Amino acid sequence: MMHSDITSRPTYRALEPDLAGSKHLLVIEGETLLTGRLEALTDTFAPVNDKLHTWLVGAPTASSGPGKVWHLEKLVDVLDLFACATRDYGMGDRLYVQGTEPFLWSVTTAASIIGFGPNQVQLHHAGSLRRRVWCTHCHTLTENVTASIVPCAGCGRHLLVRDHFSRRLGAFMGVMIDAEAPGAIPAIEEAFA
Amino acid sequence: MIGETLLLKVSTVTDIAPSLRHVRLVAATGSKLPPAAAGAHIQLTLAGETRTFRNAYSLVSRPGTRDAWEIIVRRVPTSRGGSAFIHEELQVGDTIEASWPGNLFPPVRTARRHLMIAGGIGITPFLSYLAEFAFSGANYALHVCCREEEQNVFAPWIAGQTGVAFHWDADGQRLDIPALLATQPVGTHLYVCGPAAMNDEVIAAAAAAGWPANHVHCEHFGSALSGGEAFRAFLAQSGIEVEVGEDESLLEAIERAGVKAPCLCRGGACGVCMTPLLEGEAEHRDHVLSPAERESGRLIMPCVSRAKSGLLVLDL
Repeated sequence: MMHSDITSRPTYRALEPDLAGSKHLLVIEGETLLTGRLEALTDTFAPVNDKLHTWLVGAPTASSGPGKVWHLEKLVDVLDLFACATRDYGMGDRLYVQGTEPFLWSVTTAASIIGFGPNQVQLHHAGSLRRRVWCTHCHTLTENVTASIVPCAGCGRHLLVRDHFSRRLGAFMGVMIDAEAPGAIPAIEEAFA
Repeated sequence: MIGETLLLKVSTVTDIAPSLRHVRLVAATGSKLPPAAAGAHIQLTLAGETRTFRNAYSLVSRPGTRDAWEIIVRRVPTSRGGSAFIHEELQVGDTIEASWPGNLFPPVRTARRHLMIAGGIGITPFLSYLAEFAFSGANYALHVCCREEEQNVFAPWIAGQTGVAFHWDADGQRLDIPALLATQPVGTHLYVCGPAAMNDEVIAAAAAAGWPANHVHCEHFGSALSGGEAFRAFLAQSGIEVEVGEDESLLEAIERAGVKAPCLCRGGACGVCMTPLLEGEAEHRDHVLSPAERESGRLIMPCVSRAKSGLLVLDL
């Protein structure tokens, strides 16, 4: 489900250091780290190793990685660090993020609020396909959605999870599935496990 | 007032420095002018004794102003005639034909901070930026590189504004461009307007400091670019051959022949005058065509580009 005819659906890429950058920050969602991944990233980022910080979020504290490694407990710690440290980031900074889509876009949003532009950020998807879903009816975000149809956390409507994506919200669109025939809910698939 | 062009009347002419003339223009009909945003320019049709000049000038009046537009014109020693005409012949009460305002250099509204670098008369688009930023409260800095004696010339437009620094060519006074660009916070947009060599230096320094290209904006002066060796151009659709003189542009020669050619900036920046090239080899001087498009040899910007030699055949 990483590819779609819906053009708003983001695509992701392999991370590689942008040698035009002057400082580099790699943020990784710990649960998406497979064996050998940090070693591979250490090789990939070797050309910028002395200008690189790596934030491991919820990873085993024994992990070492490329550049100077910092351990953060949760996503919210990443968001706090961005929100509190505007002056530390310059126009030569580059941000690289690996994780699930809700993680990628939460980090991107926090970075863009302090000024990171799209050309300074690389996103690499890894791990679960779970989605954040935005209800078009009550505008509530439902987190950790793995099913093709999900009850909205706000209004309880059954939402069909679309591929239409909002970069502003970091969420996919959810639309009431049984608006025209109340109660007619098709079989639910575990589409985004 | 609604038409392809506007008729303006010169309401005041003031020499603010030996080579700088300030001109205030109002609508000839006495009605209101269309509003223009920060960074906008107008194109003036200046009817000289021997020929007609069309030059683009940035508006330095407050954005949105509708009673008058203001421009500041530098007298260039190598002037093709437009700036010389304004300095020598333009009189209060004269009427001038002008284009509607265009804007190829607007500030980026989503920027967290605006960093402006001006070279000499390249300050003019930034005078309207400053007027907007004073109103909007945006975070900005303006660095002006100019002659020492011209520091205070622009005081009427920047009075009371913080964040403006002047630099000139003397020890301790020069602008350290790499140092400036290395310390800008994320979310900054950079704007540069000055002589070509300075623009190039700033753009290169930004790239070296890791600035993404989409955060770097440049406005070039086009006027010095249009002269060169004389050549001929055949306009295939019109069946007309025109001689392009040494001191005129291909676009001006086309207009002189009475053929209507679209244009906006007249400086190789906007791409509006892009014309299919059927035969001949062009000397490209624009900032629009990609290297691949130049290589293909099928397109030309007649406002600045010329023939490498002999004859060009245009689909016009």
